Amino acid sequence: MSRKILIVDDEEVIRKFLRIHLTKLGYEVKEAADGEQAIEQLGGDDFDLLICDILMPKKNGWEVIKEVKTNPKTKNIPVIVLTAKNEDTDMFKGYDMGADYYMTKPFTKAQLLYGLKLMFEEAQGAVRL
Amino acid sequence: MEDQDRKKIIIMLRWTAIIVTSYLILFGKGRMTNLHLSYLLIFVYLLSNVSLSFFPKKWFSSLKLFYPLVLLDTGIVSFGMYLSEKMVTDFYIVFFLIIIFASVSRNFKLLMVIGGITALLYGVLLYSWGLFLKDDSSSYTLRVPFIFIMTAFYGYIVQTLTREKRQELTISEDKYRGLFENANEGIILLRNHQLQIADVNREVEKVTGYIKGELIQKEVFDLFPPEEMEKARDFFKEVAETGEGKTDSLSLTKKDGFSTEVDLSTKRIDLGDESFYQMIFRDLTEQRKLEKKIRQSKRNLEAIFDGIRDQLSIQAPDYQILRVNRAVVENYRTTFEKILNQKCYKAYFQRSQPCERCPVSVTIATKQPATSIMKSSEDNTTLQIFSYPILDEKGDVLSAIEYMKDITEEQKLQEQLIQSEKLAGIGILASGVAHEINNPLSGIIGMAEIALEEEDPTKNESYLKDILDCAQRISEIVKGLRSYSRAAKKEEQGLVDLNEVLEETLKMVRLVAQKTPVEVIKKFQPVEKIYGNIGEIQQVFTNLITNAFQAMDGKGGKLVLSTRSVGDSVEVKVSDDGMGIPRKYLNQIFDPFFTTKKPGEGTGLGLNIVYRIVTQHEGTIDVESKEQMGTTFTIKFPIRRAET
Repeated sequence: MSRKILIVDDEEVIRKFLRIHLTKLGYEVKEAADGEQAIEQLGGDDFDLLICDILMPKKNGWEVIKEVKTNPKTKNIPVIVLTAKNEDTDMFKGYDMGADYYMTKPFTKAQLLYGLKLMFEEAQGAVRL
Repeated sequence: MEDQDRKKIIIMLRWTAIIVTSYLILFGKGRMTNLHLSYLLIFVYLLSNVSLSFFPKKWFSSLKLFYPLVLLDTGIVSFGMYLSEKMVTDFYIVFFLIIIFASVSRNFKLLMVIGGITALLYGVLLYSWGLFLKDDSSSYTLRVPFIFIMTAFYGYIVQTLTREKRQELTISEDKYRGLFENANEGIILLRNHQLQIADVNREVEKVTGYIKGELIQKEVFDLFPPEEMEKARDFFKEVAETGEGKTDSLSLTKKDGFSTEVDLSTKRIDLGDESFYQMIFRDLTEQRKLEKKIRQSKRNLEAIFDGIRDQLSIQAPDYQILRVNRAVVENYRTTFEKILNQKCYKAYFQRSQPCERCPVSVTIATKQPATSIMKSSEDNTTLQIFSYPILDEKGDVLSAIEYMKDITEEQKLQEQLIQSEKLAGIGILASGVAHEINNPLSGIIGMAEIALEEEDPTKNESYLKDILDCAQRISEIVKGLRSYSRAAKKEEQGLVDLNEVLEETLKMVRLVAQKTPVEVIKKFQPVEKIYGNIGEIQQVFTNLITNAFQAMDGKGGKLVLSTRSVGDSVEVKVSDDGMGIPRKYLNQIFDPFFTTKKPGEGTGLGLNIVYRIVTQHEGTIDVESKEQMGTTFTIKFPIRRAET
């Protein structure tokens, strides 16, 4: 069974190329355009990875991550933060809140692949332990 | 004496006199002459006393009643005697003797003794003439008690009058004594002879410390200290020679040996047949103390005036310089003499007419303080001029204080501060713009990578379109940034379209504020351009709109921007429905370095800069705010044409 990934970003073009990349790599991809949609989706489905933007309308990325990481049902889902906020303080905040990988825009496919590798190998390792 | 007693006594005495007189008339020797007239006289006399008993009591202490009464009685008794004796009797002499006795007598008891002796002597006389014990001698016999009664009657009346007169004198004496004693001035009465002190009042005792007894009979010169003796002697000599009053300032020696300065007036006066000098003096100690205080406070004020390093001048309503402080003289390298009485505009600004925006003219017209900023033509300094009215007792403007402060340095610093705040703003803007560009940039890179990998060329069109879209978005952002920074760079004064500046500023701030979902309502009316620095005004709007976005805290809300003309100014309102400003902070928000943000998040200079820029443009800024309801800033810029 292929892994299921949720992409949360209000920029359609970003969702689009992420979807194309990830689908080609064999993942099942779901999308959300803002924080509220993301929470909704997370409630309905089981995901193996969350790729989340920070600056979004309605509910921002920080809030989404907080909810994911405090909910026992979703707290084990690895989270990749994908944001234009590239200051160190934002990155530290992201890790402090429980994000597993912090990726700043603009980014390349190579960076994405590295992130995916890190997430799933670590997750597998965790299972092995 | 009681009026009641007096009335009784007078009426009683008169009754006795009436009875005796009537008897004498009716039974006197010549009674047959004119009987009708005799009866009429007796009737009148009776009637007079009866009517007298109806008179109010207090009339009996009035001279207006006494004199007619004495005249009437003398007349009736004399006429009665005439009727009875036909003037051939000695009785007349006795009667007038009585009246004389009574009028000269000062002592009632003595008068009664004299009256008694006279009556006795007359009785003895009558007896020796053999008229006393004859059958028809009763009319003679009656004369003896009559003498006594009439003496008593006239004596009583005279006595009462004298006493009353004396009483009146006493009252008037007391009155003047009171005036004399209670006067706030010291009064000394000197006998002309040797200038001896005859009387002094209480104030003299108070001022000199002597009591009255110690002063009486003293020579007046004993009161002057040795060093003023010469002056005092000359003073009195002059009064004596000219005979006119004289006033001078002299010192008096007190009992304790100290001297006190007085203002002394001396005048010759004649009381009765004696001539006196009247000395009236006022103690100047208090006045001297007060004068000293006034002089000191004047010196203090002068020191403050001169000690202030900013230029101060006092000007008449026609701009004539009445007074300047040292700073003015030093600054203009002139002297007090040269600058005083010149016109302000001439002395300070080398103009032939008052300056256009002279605050003194405003103060004179409105009686209110005024201020304005002017550039000195001479050395290109910027002066802030304040004027403050000096009012007279009626509340009219007597003159104005003009206070000139060289704010050239201050302005330079302020400009630097604004500049650095602007730079900081551009820094924030740059990072905001970077964020904003990063999104489409991610799109371009991502889509380009996909296009490179794509084996099916027909699909590439869609990817390229996405890339183009993203690139165009970046281009828009850069364009906006350029126009914003172009305005921010401008340092020149010029005409500014506030609507345009608001529009551009909003665009940039939105960019920085990124995803905050704010509904912006623009209510722009066509307004006249104002004169000012476009870069600075943009800074004002940037700070206010940024604050508004921050107040809505990323949660979104409504931002209302409006412009309209109000009288001679343009009003700009920036209002949000954000968290509002707590009441306790409202009067601090324009203070420099006041911030409620966390360290590192705000400098606390934003609103202070706004305030400085607005006031420098001679505008006003007001804030209204309610917690959780929102905040509205209202700015008014005056519409004014470019200055020459």
